[in-house]
Amino acid sequence: MASSSSSGLTFKLHPLVIVNISDHYTRVKSQMNPPPPTSVTSNSNNSNGGENNQSPPRAYGCVIGVQRGRTVEIFNSFELLYDPSTHSLDRSFLEKKQELYKKVFPNFYVLGWYSTGNDAEESDMHIHKALMDVNESPVYVLLNPAINHAQKDLPVTIYESELHVIDGIPQLIFVRSSYTIETVEAERISVDHVAHLKPSGGSAATQLAAQLTGIHSAIKMLNSRIRVLHQYLVGMQKGDLPCENALLRQVSSLLRRLPATESEKFQDDFLTEYNDTLLVTYLATFTNCSSTMNDLVDKFNTAYDRHSRRGGRTAFI
Amino acid sequence: MDSAVAQKTWELENNILAAEAPDPSSDSIFHYDEVAQAKFLKDKPWANDPHFFKRVKISALALLKMVVHARSGGTIEVMGLMQGKTDGDAIIVMDAFALPVEGTETRVNAQADAYEYMVDYSQTNKQAGRLENVVGWYHSHPGYGCWLSGIDVSTQMLNQQFQEPFLAVVIDPTRTVSAGKVDIGAFRTYPEGYKPPDDHTSEYQTIPLNKIEDFGVHCKQYYALNITYFKSSLDSHLLDLLWNKYWVNTLSSSPLLGNGDYVAGQISDLAEKLEQAENQLIHSRIGPLGTSRKKEESQLAKITRDSSKITVEQVHGLMSQVLKNILFNSVGQQNRNEQPVSDPMIEA
Repeated sequence: MASSSSSGLTFKLHPLVIVNISDHYTRVKSQMNPPPPTSVTSNSNNSNGGENNQSPPRAYGCVIGVQRGRTVEIFNSFELLYDPSTHSLDRSFLEKKQELYKKVFPNFYVLGWYSTGNDAEESDMHIHKALMDVNESPVYVLLNPAINHAQKDLPVTIYESELHVIDGIPQLIFVRSSYTIETVEAERISVDHVAHLKPSGGSAATQLAAQLTGIHSAIKMLNSRIRVLHQYLVGMQKGDLPCENALLRQVSSLLRRLPATESEKFQDDFLTEYNDTLLVTYLATFTNCSSTMNDLVDKFNTAYDRHSRRGGRTAFI
Repeated sequence: MDSAVAQKTWELENNILAAEAPDPSSDSIFHYDEVAQAKFLKDKPWANDPHFFKRVKISALALLKMVVHARSGGTIEVMGLMQGKTDGDAIIVMDAFALPVEGTETRVNAQADAYEYMVDYSQTNKQAGRLENVVGWYHSHPGYGCWLSGIDVSTQMLNQQFQEPFLAVVIDPTRTVSAGKVDIGAFRTYPEGYKPPDDHTSEYQTIPLNKIEDFGVHCKQYYALNITYFKSSLDSHLLDLLWNKYWVNTLSSSPLLGNGDYVAGQISDLAEKLEQAENQLIHSRIGPLGTSRKKEESQLAKITRDSSKITVEQVHGLMSQVLKNILFNSVGQQNRNEQPVSDPMIEA
């Protein structure tokens, strides 16, 4: 059912949405399977083991964001009520929630909906169609909550609906779209903070270490990705792997983009910034120096206090 | 070998507890036990001890929402509410949501339609399965640090009289972006007339000159709580995977570009403080020696600390710029050598 999308829209997803959906799912799951009380005996352990086999219901919600031209940026999300009997989402609830969110985030529109689960199902199409009168081409974000440590990729997929002719009947089916993770600086820092639990405060040395560690890991990732590409290219050169021209074209265009900027203006601005920072460092060291000097003079004066009580300077022995 | 020793030292210095991978059983924090909560509310153990709540646990989601909302306000203060529950002497914040109010210095409280919004939102949330109650409010101090102003203190005292348990959280989004780490503080006020038992020293932070009076007058009327963060097992799993896509953003972030105004403001503020300190120092030479000395010294020392902080942040920003320059701009010379893409990066 899911092939790749051809609509040409680019999707940008913010990490807040992912954390939102995950939180919703965890809540639903934990309310269904209440945790065992702190004093456990072996009996209650067994019974709780049996309880946990209940598969938690799917969590449903709405995603909101901005659509500018061909770019769809998903900023936020909120929960919705699902009615299992009619396989549809509670409409009045959606509208009420939408109104509330409009007051705080006036720019955001309903872009689509989300749910948790393994794969898109047939029943999802009903919900999708129902949402089409709010937004004529909604997106469907699916999060797979199963924790699979072998997985290297985010278990989040974005589906769009497209009209395809199957067996002579035009039908709406889900097609997968690619997306990128987009973030603002503040979001990145807080995600970093929670993900890696960096130390807060501390001496300048630890701050420096934290900053450099962050950049170091990012560069390591870049390095490993380039190595993968390199190995692939070497393999192609040796003839182990089939030659793929499309990939070669992409790699070549990537290489041609380096150096990133080589203009005179960039160099000038860069050096100006460099000099500004050096100046700030100079001033700070200056201040530090004068403060230490001040301390020294004061200590000196205090040490020779009995002389200065007569007022004015005195020769010191 | 050295690196292992260095890492252990670093961890020790910063009290980093070994992060045990949160397993599904620790997700129990997400369960809302209505009965236990109701009992706690009835007992009111905080009524007798103004210092009862000592810790705050903030969920990953709440932190993310609050910081994003605070940053979206730019230089305008924004505010919102936090939902959660209590757990012994800790307040747990599970979620946060924004309120449609604009902050100005003169607004004491949220307006009438904000109350309506609050009620509507809480109702819809309860329907959607978010059972927690409101346990506090947060607002932002863009650029001038995490502390409670006079108005904030009176608002919080009012809240603590009628809406216990309640917590006040302040976020500074500008400093967060500039320093590269989240600048957040959680506070509770003491009741009227209560004298705190010990003169605890909180972590020093720079306060701009125009706000320093407001800070000084009220800083004894509230105390800061210790903040820790938590996340569910699914959250940590997702965040780990997110890193696979995220490293690009880390590398491409340029803290210097976004915060030029803020840094300029800090420097000019520092200049004013220096002048003030200088005046005081000149006058003290004529006046009596002794205890008055200590104040000016510590003021100059404070200025020195502030200037070092600004410098450190600038240098960090510049470092990433220089690194990126080396990575992406200096490859031009190597490419002309007809070799396959050689690694310009330093090996780990």
